[in-house]
Amino acid sequence: MVREVSESCVDSLMTEMVACYCNRFYANKPELAARRIEAIGYQVGQQLSERYTMERPRFGDHLEAIKFICKDFWSEVFKKQIDNLKTNHRGTFVLQDNKFPWLARMSVDPSADNVSSVEDYSAPTAESKAAQAMSMHLYFPCGIIRGALSNLGIPCAVSADISSLPACSFVVRIKA
Amino acid sequence: MIVCVAVVGHQNNPLYIQSFTEADDALKLHHIVHCSLDVVDERVNNPKKSGPMLNETFLGMLYPIENYKVYGYLTNTKVKFILVTTDLDVKDADVRNFFRRFHSAYVDAVSNPFHVPGKKITSRTFAERVSTIVKSFGFSSAA
Amino acid sequence: MRTEENHNTVEVAVYAEFRSDWTEALKFYEEAYHTLREIVGVTTRLPPIQRLVEIKSVSEQLHFKISTLLLHSGKVTEAVTWFRQHKNTYRRLVGAPEAILVHWEWMSRQYLVFGELLETSSKATQNFPPVILGSSSKPLSEWEYYPAYYYQLAAHYLSEKRSALELAISMSEIPNEVDIGADSVVPSAYVGQFARLLEEGDNVDMLPLTDEGYTHYAVAEGKRFRDSLEIIALLKKAYESYSGIKVQRMSSFCGFQMAKEYFAEGEIGNAKQIFDNIAILYRTEGWVTLLWDVLGYLRECSRRNGTVKDFVEYSLEMAALPISSDTGVQKDTGPAGPASILQREIVHKEVFELVGEASVLTKNEDSSNLKISADEFVQLEVDLVSPLRLVMFASVAFHEQTIKPGTSTSITISLLSHLPLTVEIDRLEIQFNQSSCNFIIANAQKQHYVEDGDTLKQRTETAPTLSLVSNKWLRLTYNIQSDQSGKLECLSVIAKIGSHLAICCRAESPASLDSLPLWTLEDCTQTVPIKDAVLVFSGLKSTQVEEPDPQVDLCLGASGPALIGEVFLVPVTLVSKGHAVYSGELKINLVDVKGGGLFSPRDSEPYSMESHHVQLLGISGPEGEDESQLDSDNIKKIQQSFGLISVPFIKNGDSWSCKLEIKWHRPKPIMLYVSLGYKPNGYEPNNAQMVHVHKNLQIEGKNAIVINHHYLMPFRRDPLLLTKNKEALESDQPEPLPSNQNTVLVVSAKNCTEVPLRLKSISIEEEDGVERTCSIQHGNEELSDPALLVPGEEFKKVFSVNSNINISKLILGTACLRWRRDLGVEEKSASTATLSSWVVTKQKLPDMNVELPPLIVSLECPPYAILGDPFTYNIRILNQTQLLQEIKYSLADAQSFVLCGYHNDTVYVLPKSEHIVSYKLVPLASGMQQVPRFSMTSVRYSAAYQPSNSSSTVFVFPSKPHFKTAASTIFRVEESVANE
Repeated sequence: MVREVSESCVDSLMTEMVACYCNRFYANKPELAARRIEAIGYQVGQQLSERYTMERPRFGDHLEAIKFICKDFWSEVFKKQIDNLKTNHRGTFVLQDNKFPWLARMSVDPSADNVSSVEDYSAPTAESKAAQAMSMHLYFPCGIIRGALSNLGIPCAVSADISSLPACSFVVRIKA
Repeated sequence: MIVCVAVVGHQNNPLYIQSFTEADDALKLHHIVHCSLDVVDERVNNPKKSGPMLNETFLGMLYPIENYKVYGYLTNTKVKFILVTTDLDVKDADVRNFFRRFHSAYVDAVSNPFHVPGKKITSRTFAERVSTIVKSFGFSSAA
Repeated sequence: MRTEENHNTVEVAVYAEFRSDWTEALKFYEEAYHTLREIVGVTTRLPPIQRLVEIKSVSEQLHFKISTLLLHSGKVTEAVTWFRQHKNTYRRLVGAPEAILVHWEWMSRQYLVFGELLETSSKATQNFPPVILGSSSKPLSEWEYYPAYYYQLAAHYLSEKRSALELAISMSEIPNEVDIGADSVVPSAYVGQFARLLEEGDNVDMLPLTDEGYTHYAVAEGKRFRDSLEIIALLKKAYESYSGIKVQRMSSFCGFQMAKEYFAEGEIGNAKQIFDNIAILYRTEGWVTLLWDVLGYLRECSRRNGTVKDFVEYSLEMAALPISSDTGVQKDTGPAGPASILQREIVHKEVFELVGEASVLTKNEDSSNLKISADEFVQLEVDLVSPLRLVMFASVAFHEQTIKPGTSTSITISLLSHLPLTVEIDRLEIQFNQSSCNFIIANAQKQHYVEDGDTLKQRTETAPTLSLVSNKWLRLTYNIQSDQSGKLECLSVIAKIGSHLAICCRAESPASLDSLPLWTLEDCTQTVPIKDAVLVFSGLKSTQVEEPDPQVDLCLGASGPALIGEVFLVPVTLVSKGHAVYSGELKINLVDVKGGGLFSPRDSEPYSMESHHVQLLGISGPEGEDESQLDSDNIKKIQQSFGLISVPFIKNGDSWSCKLEIKWHRPKPIMLYVSLGYKPNGYEPNNAQMVHVHKNLQIEGKNAIVINHHYLMPFRRDPLLLTKNKEALESDQPEPLPSNQNTVLVVSAKNCTEVPLRLKSISIEEEDGVERTCSIQHGNEELSDPALLVPGEEFKKVFSVNSNINISKLILGTACLRWRRDLGVEEKSASTATLSSWVVTKQKLPDMNVELPPLIVSLECPPYAILGDPFTYNIRILNQTQLLQEIKYSLADAQSFVLCGYHNDTVYVLPKSEHIVSYKLVPLASGMQQVPRFSMTSVRYSAAYQPSNSSSTVFVFPSKPHFKTAASTIFRVEESVANE
């Protein structure tokens, strides 16, 4: 019997976690908040990978492991697979999800923060602020991927980038 | 009878080691487990030799030593499970079954959010589950 | 009967072997071996112990033969399988318990012999057999192919034999008489049989032996050998063999057993060396229980050797090992004792008692060699890789990454110990790379330790308590300040505990905590050295002390943009305002603002041979002193974009200046960086700190003068240029010039700066190596009085160019301008030296195509006309060719003139001759009037010709004007200064 978790609960937890770290624990220190969130994701990724690789033979190479992340791992976590996988065959992989569930309910308010930008001429525009807030939500899945891969013996760096909501791509750079 | 089980991390550091003997040879068993890591390394690094068992998590019997037989299991996450038994006639299926149950106990233990990955497993629940699995070794296949 | 049969089989086998019939021999040996197994338990010829010994001896012989034959023929797998079978068959045949040592000895021998056989065969063949694993129900492990494996087990069985022997000796307090009996036991003629030798005079007789007698004999034999040496030899073989194939854990295990044997034998030196090697592996892999055991032995080794420092180190490491009660190793035979917290505490107490009070030590009345004399001091170094990091670990963080000299910042020193009990530190010495910052933290409760004379000079802080609780950070925050600029780094923290122990920890940054060994933070909640979350990630053990604020002004007094070509002077002035300047140095750097670099080696423009766009030419000395350049001693280095000069001593309040000479070759904005480094006082020649002043200035390099040129044809004299007509306007090429004609070249120079310039000359210079193809005439080479050019003004000079005949390209050369900035009111008073520094600007004049026009049309008409007065309008058509030219021409009507003559006609112009078409015109209106337009077409070339508008106008006066002087010629070759 597979135990399941309510998706909306996870969504809310995610939002709350990001909000907590960004606005309460590490307000005004986004790098530290990002680091903490990524670290949480890392541990989650490690533990998930431990469970999801239980019944399968060991991976022969990096590509196999990445494919596992794209297919089985992603299906277990998000009930869908990664839509597109690209690689330069030199240790960089781009995993593209055309409808990343954790971004699916997010939108940019175009009228936001017109007032605040007046006081500081260097204040980021509403758009870049929104992008920053959104990227905060991506540290957790990045951490998950990094945790899973490093637990599989592939140390790497993972970054995310949003082209247009809710599509999202994760760039995995494997450390030599 | 199983005399010792161990979980060894990917840096060959012991994460969990437990012996189940009346006799006081825990240290000797620790040595045996430690030495068996050499065999695991050999098996993993020279996969050609292992032939049909390519990339299987179950590594089979690692080596016979005096009165013991040592079996190994390597997870995808490079964690090794070592089993030391005194039984002379061990069925492969029994060992496989043991490792499968052991693995799931291990996964449950490390999925505990209070467990720090890469650190020793200190969970008491895990220890209890392991001793249950160890006790039922050999009977489960019949049941 | 069976025995007899077996005997025969062996004989056949030996015979086959003798014939080199290996397969046959093997077959019979195997048969004999199997028969032997059947005999076991059947024959009763000998007493049970001796019977077993005999059978084993025989089987050993047969097995040896079989193994040799198998290995000889390369059948390693069969040999190994055979050995396993052999071993399994006889392993259980232990026999009577009193003779068990014989069995162990036999087993050990089996392993040793097979190992040696395997080793020689693998050396001979070198090829490893393909291993078939997992195919049969009892697969072979690859380990069974390593000789080391057999040596290891041989050693194991030998040690079993040894313990059995010891047991037998202790059990049988046998008087000497039996020993005498054992002396006379000899091997009999048969393999594996023994007999008692009875000597009666010359008569020697063999008597069968009882089992008891045999056992005595075996024990007595056993006593003669020192098994431990044999065991060490075997383990050494295994150890070396495993090390040879990089099987380090197995070899460590063999080494461990070997070292234990050495230890038991009292060879401490050998034991310690091996134990130390093994400990390294156990440390890196975090096998705490195994390490505990090894360290226990090492501790005993150092105790026996009397090396106090080693003893303290091993003891502290043991005490700090992360052992909790659940390791499973509760009892152990090793000297370490059980791996438990209790034992750790015992070790901890023992070592601190040892180093704590020297006098108390004597009460340790046991045979310990450890002594610390009153003035002895044990100092332990804890660096990044030391195992003693667990004992004490120092993390140091400055709260600020940069500090001003003289101002104080906070530094936090955090100490962590994994020792099981609380350690009282008497005092801490914090050491920095700047020794003046070193300070001491003394424990208020143990003040009496601070009595050293030399430490009194140092700053001493007092802490109420310095207790290092197990697994808890001891955090101490103090102020620190430095006057010395540069890096301030905490090097080490020395903890003095008691009067004889100092632990010197290399300071580490909190940010590098991740690199702790695997198991350091095990079993205890992970804590951070500093509570501040930011410092945990970014805190560093070093900080940067800034320089003191400079008290010297550095002024760059450049005005306006620089002009290309001129030597642009940037005055640099140093004004001391509080600091005297000692050993000052001025560094000058030119950097391209846009980052493109000042250097373009590939840019091959012929006019700027200098590859540098902007160049630092030199530095001239201060004004007022002699005008010459600075002494060459002072100028240390001048490069294209970099300069280094030394500044003489400047007293407080004085100033010094120099001028930088920079030349631009291209219009380019550059950033000029000037930095002064000096020492504010001269009495500390070496360690006085430098103070730096930086200034930068962006200077634009601009073109001073734009040179233009254009050609003019002789007035009212137009050649028919065929190419011009053909290519019309589409082509980019400049219009060709007619050859063999005088052409006017006007060169104009426009001041495009914002300052007035003086222009001395414009000339056209021949290019090097390129012959000019025309003659150029002009007026004076130089202007007698340099012309003033205000911003935006243009100066023109006219040259007459006469191209030679028979050329296709007119190569003029380079326009060359000499100019300088206008000095304004100083212009008159300026010395000749200044005036001579004319800037030369050159620009290549493009080559012109020339061609010989076949026809030249000249319009002849008076310079002016008078209303109503008729005048003659001649049109001369010159045929320059050798051909007859048919010309169609027409003259359009003009409103302002009345004319007579043909409007349209066709004429023939003879070769090399001229045709004149003549009209009489009467002007009807005054003012600038357009004479009737003449147009013609050469039939031969089908080229049309029309004179330009300007050449066909004429001014009509209403009445005859009265001039004082006659009107000048229409054009003249002369220079004209445009003074608008």
